Amino acid sequence: MRCKIWLVFTLFGLMASPRLAAQEVLPGEWNAQKIKGIRFLPDATYQGNPFLNDQFTSGEINLADGTKISGIQLKYNNYRDELIYYNNAVSTQIEVDKISVKSFVLTDDKGDKHFYRKQTVTGYLPGERYLEVLSEGEVTLLVHRKVLLLTCPVYGEVGKEKSMSYQEAFNYYLYNVKKGFELIKPAKNSLFSKLDPSDQLLLRKILRKNDLKITDEEHFVKAWNLVLSNKMAIHF
Amino acid sequence: MLLVTLYGKAQGKECFGLFTDRDLYTSGETMLLKAFAPSAVQGGILTVDLFNAKGEMIASVPLQISDNQADGFLSLNDTLSSGSYLLRVLTQTSVTQTVKELYILNRFTGVTESGISFRPAAAISTPDSIQPLFTVSGAEKNYKRREKAHLTIHFPADWMALTEGPLCLYVAQAIPEYNAQTFVLNHKPKFSSNAGNEGIIISGIATDPATSTPFKNGVITLSVPDSLPRFNYYTTGENGRFYFQLKDYHGRISLVLNGNDPTNYRPMKISLDKQENLLSSLPPFKTGIFPPELRKVAAKNVEALNFSKIFKQQQISVLPAKISKTDAYPFYGVPERVIYPKLFVDLSNFEEISRELLQGIKFRDNNHHPTFQILNAQRNSFFTEQPLVLLNGVPVRNLNDIKDLGSREIDRIEISQYERYFGNLRFSGVVAIYAPKFDFEGLKESDDLIKLSLDAVQPRAVFNPAPNDQAKEPDLRQVLLWQPILKPETTIGVDFQTSDIIGKFRVVISGKRRDGRLFFEEQSFEVN
Repeated sequence: MRCKIWLVFTLFGLMASPRLAAQEVLPGEWNAQKIKGIRFLPDATYQGNPFLNDQFTSGEINLADGTKISGIQLKYNNYRDELIYYNNAVSTQIEVDKISVKSFVLTDDKGDKHFYRKQTVTGYLPGERYLEVLSEGEVTLLVHRKVLLLTCPVYGEVGKEKSMSYQEAFNYYLYNVKKGFELIKPAKNSLFSKLDPSDQLLLRKILRKNDLKITDEEHFVKAWNLVLSNKMAIHF
Repeated sequence: MLLVTLYGKAQGKECFGLFTDRDLYTSGETMLLKAFAPSAVQGGILTVDLFNAKGEMIASVPLQISDNQADGFLSLNDTLSSGSYLLRVLTQTSVTQTVKELYILNRFTGVTESGISFRPAAAISTPDSIQPLFTVSGAEKNYKRREKAHLTIHFPADWMALTEGPLCLYVAQAIPEYNAQTFVLNHKPKFSSNAGNEGIIISGIATDPATSTPFKNGVITLSVPDSLPRFNYYTTGENGRFYFQLKDYHGRISLVLNGNDPTNYRPMKISLDKQENLLSSLPPFKTGIFPPELRKVAAKNVEALNFSKIFKQQQISVLPAKISKTDAYPFYGVPERVIYPKLFVDLSNFEEISRELLQGIKFRDNNHHPTFQILNAQRNSFFTEQPLVLLNGVPVRNLNDIKDLGSREIDRIEISQYERYFGNLRFSGVVAIYAPKFDFEGLKESDDLIKLSLDAVQPRAVFNPAPNDQAKEPDLRQVLLWQPILKPETTIGVDFQTSDIIGKFRVVISGKRRDGRLFFEEQSFEVN
């Protein structure tokens, strides 16, 4: 009996094999990865860090041609305003051509996703920049996470150090398609100056009710989202 | 009124419908095509292939599917010999193929002396029962030459809901003596994924020329020469197979496939998959005698075609190919420097150009062994490897191909002096030479280089209107009207003008129902 079962299985196997050979399953990644860029060479070492994220983090790139590449290791160089990805296949850090990028997403240590998009900034510091979208709406709140390389005291807590350091100089922008960009400070007065007097009173109440004090970027974004959710008119 | 409804299903599988303007053609003519795809095939492309009696593919036309249908044309080569041919429609992943028998006469030799043709002995398609669908009013039995005709097709209202997509309407010469058969065959698709229908697939295998074993980790590049070249690559696996899909390409394109081993520099042989031979899947054929009446009609058609060639009459006008969506900048990045050698003093060869105009680039021709080096702008030292040298977008491995290019031949030279990456490919700098007059015929094919020209998605064509009925030139149209996309309406007015060709003609309307059934109906008339 066992012999017969084996015979049946063998026959089925023989019948199936030509069919398997005849039909090919197209490879999933037959359109090979096409991120364009140049080899990233690190700058000389100074005090501080030119990168937003010290280590490569999982991210996603949306290219200008509509291609979406996810699950790749990304790093954002604030100083050069460049996106760097780690190519596992060739074990190389590659500076992605800015012209080819539409937007990208970085995942921070907490697992939160940060969406950056390339926009041509007008006005103060004009040019193509990667801007993080803090809040999206009719008026969008964006931040350019710029760092500057400035001279600094050579003698620090641990003795003699480098004479230059990377220092945060983030620029926050309000953006509207019609009106363009306007700088804004992530502070209470700056936010209130963009609202009608009646809305200022209302926002004060709402902030008090929510026990929200605008002390840093996180709280500023929360307050901004309250402005949007309460449909207050923004003037800039 | 003759009415036939074809049940477009073979062994329970919905199949393609294939219609041509006529069944008998003369070499040098243009065949007009209409294909209805199964409901499952929502988009992408289908291919219409022409096979000769030996089952060899003569021509292939990829057509864009829209609304489960596609239409196009096939230009029949002047050199086709007289005999039976088979026209086949399918997609790269379909499990059925629809085949239509045709007869093509060579316009120089006419019908073969022996007069023997062959026909399928058994058709596999299963014609369904005949049910009247349309009524036609205003049609005459006889028309005069160059007479304007008008008829009205009344489409039953209940069929409107059952009809899927537009109809196809045409008025063309009818040859009752030759009734071409259409049959459905099973097809073993080469690829199983639906993604295979989105574009033309070019596939093949890379092997080690010494052992003929599959070449693992070989890089096959595909280049489309252009002012903004297109480039793609594939890294082979254990089986050495490679695949490229060409999407968004229209009209005739030239391609160059190049194989190389970027790590160990081993020699490689690349070969494309052979074209399918239809003969193995065909039903048995029987031979027959070419009827004398048909021989007369065929002779007249050949004469008409020869005259229409003399008067340069065209039944269709091909619209310009849709411009393919291109990238904003080349695959090797925005060049840091662009040199226009024509703006400088005449330099006779590339070595002189490199010495005089290309800073940081060292091209030297030492006893027919040219070398190329480029300065790395990031490290300020020369790369040890040769840069990627492109000629009109095609990678050049043999530098002898470019050494004789002088400044008069070169339009521009684009240079990138960085270590560039395109996906997983690394280039030690890039020098892209654009020489518009360079003939790729001069690029020699080798084990690792294949040149090919193929038809990408066919551009659309429009049927030319009838000439003025007072025109002095003979009107030799065998197709009086061709409307492959006709909106189904309860009343359809049909206007056409007969030509100087006398004989039998037919008005044909075809379409597809939502249940997958194909239908066509024809009304015959005679021109005296």
